[in-house]
Amino acid sequence: MEPILILKGVRKVYQKAERSVEALRGIDLSIDRGALVAVVGPSGSGKTTLLNIIGCLDLPTEGSVRYDGRELGRMSEKELAVYRKENISFIFQSYNLIPVLTVIENVELPMVIERRYSRKEMRERASEIVDAVGLGEMADRFPRELSGGQEQRVAIARALVKNPIVVLADEPTANLDSHTAEEIVELMERMNETRNTTFVFSTHDSLVQRHAHRVVTIRDGLIRADEAEVDRRINV
Amino acid sequence: MKEVFRIALRNVLRHKRRAFITAITMMVGIALFISFDSLMAGVDRMSIENMINLSHSSLKIFTKDYLAERDVYPLDYGIADPQAVAKRLGTDPLVKAVTTRTEFLGQLSDYRNVLPVRGIVINPEQDPKVFTLAKYTQGSFFGAGGADGADGTDASTGVNLEEVSNPIVLGSTLAQKFDLKLGDTILLSARTRYDSQNADEFTVIGLLTAFDPAVDNSAFLTYATANQFLDLENLVTEMDVKLVHRLNIDQTVRDANAVAASVKASDPTLTAQTFKELGRAYFDLMGTKRSITLAMVMIILLIAAVGIVNTVLMSVYARIREVGVLKALGFRRREVVWMFTLEGIFVGVFGSIMGAVLGAGLNYLLITRGIPLSFFGDSSIAAGLPFWGTMYGVWNPGTIIFALVFGVLIATVAAIIPARKAAKMTATDALRFV
Repeated sequence: MEPILILKGVRKVYQKAERSVEALRGIDLSIDRGALVAVVGPSGSGKTTLLNIIGCLDLPTEGSVRYDGRELGRMSEKELAVYRKENISFIFQSYNLIPVLTVIENVELPMVIERRYSRKEMRERASEIVDAVGLGEMADRFPRELSGGQEQRVAIARALVKNPIVVLADEPTANLDSHTAEEIVELMERMNETRNTTFVFSTHDSLVQRHAHRVVTIRDGLIRADEAEVDRRINV
Repeated sequence: MKEVFRIALRNVLRHKRRAFITAITMMVGIALFISFDSLMAGVDRMSIENMINLSHSSLKIFTKDYLAERDVYPLDYGIADPQAVAKRLGTDPLVKAVTTRTEFLGQLSDYRNVLPVRGIVINPEQDPKVFTLAKYTQGSFFGAGGADGADGTDASTGVNLEEVSNPIVLGSTLAQKFDLKLGDTILLSARTRYDSQNADEFTVIGLLTAFDPAVDNSAFLTYATANQFLDLENLVTEMDVKLVHRLNIDQTVRDANAVAASVKASDPTLTAQTFKELGRAYFDLMGTKRSITLAMVMIILLIAAVGIVNTVLMSVYARIREVGVLKALGFRRREVVWMFTLEGIFVGVFGSIMGAVLGAGLNYLLITRGIPLSFFGDSSIAAGLPFWGTMYGVWNPGTIIFALVFGVLIATVAAIIPARKAAKMTATDALRFV
């Protein structure tokens, strides 16, 4: 089976004032469907840039990104927006919930934007996923009434509500204590298993890494290590 | 779309205080605009009504020859048959009253000083039906009753003003120059209709204070006196017409134009000038005044607009990451613009409605109570303009609607600027924004 995502020779150069910063310096990476991949590395190593490029939030300066056999670089702006909308979801480090919407409304938002679902269908799907992340009782609360862990659960529910193929999570546990962080990763793991959703998440946290099927280490814009779960078990 | 609306509305409600303060700026601007416009319209109306009631009437009828030389008030061109003209006008439903007048140039003298004067010969029965000069007269206005009472005897002088042989009513400005009181005599000289010089002593039976320089510098006689003094033989050089009262000045102008046209059409020797033509200088000034008012209001609303820009800009900066999330979720650029613009519109609508309500309230007070000119400390504030006493406002629903629409429009334009700025950012830039 062909991997869902294939990156070849991806470079990304940011132009900052008068100097240029090379965030990615030639990344080759393929990710199978249903994988749970952790991207690790120190700050500034290029993790977020890599996730942004996979998610089409950013374009590579050089190299190719193929999704399900299609070259993203050849897609028009409109096609990219559709690709992002239909296949990819994001989870952010600081949750980034919309503060004026309730838990259930935040979760419904991606469906609202897509305008493909009826009001009833949206509410049903959102309720189901909110229950699945364990927040059924808090559906009508606003983000300010939740703890950090609960907010991240909402963000996960929001990311999963449309059954995306790939969920990209940038440091999803960075703002959480270790116990809550583990709970969040376990939740992603469970969703990965039950829904076969592909998760690619960046993290610093070694506890969190343990749950991944595969750990890709990135430093100075290059992949320095790529370990499958089985290899790491051997290493341990 | 509904979601965009919901997010925008909830964001405004979430920052109530900020939104409220901005809306108050808007409110004050709009309320000031409505009140100021009302007051200006009120002053205009009062001025125009005073012009009509004191000197211009609704329209004046002359012979064409007289009008050509009116500057020197010649006694050569009388209206041939004023009774016929009056009779014809009497059948017009727009006409309320008609009177005849004859103006002449003369000189007043107290044997020491001499001053030129415009004399106005009036018909004491008909004149008060067209003009309201009696209301502003101390003493008597030829039996029409002055400010001091109707029995004819002046309380301060004991002179029976109704029984003097050569009565004259003087504008107070003139009277002051000669230090004249009721019952005093003054020498009036003028050229008669047949171009001989005549002079006679007249007794002041009324002092007229209308704050209108043209009136306050004139001397009034009756035809009974002037027929002898000027050999007038009931010569009528002008006819003054009062039309039915209209609340709307524009309607009054239309009425006057219609009657003027019918006068001109009925007799080719006659011509007519409406109060608008006679008071052209004031109407020109009115236009300028309106432009100045509009400019002032623009400045006030511009300040309010800066407030809106600031509010939306603060909202944008506080929520740039949110913009990133929405864009990452699939929000399109125009939806982001719309969301922030809506916030501005909500504030604008709220501020404008509050402004309209406050403006209407202030307007109500201006209409029912008015502002006495003494409130400004000096009753001569009118500075020669034909208004005095108390300034009243005028209801103008058009202004309130305009202010409402304009307020919302300003708010929309003011909000679009920062909203576009927010929408321009890419999702990654917005998410990276700290």
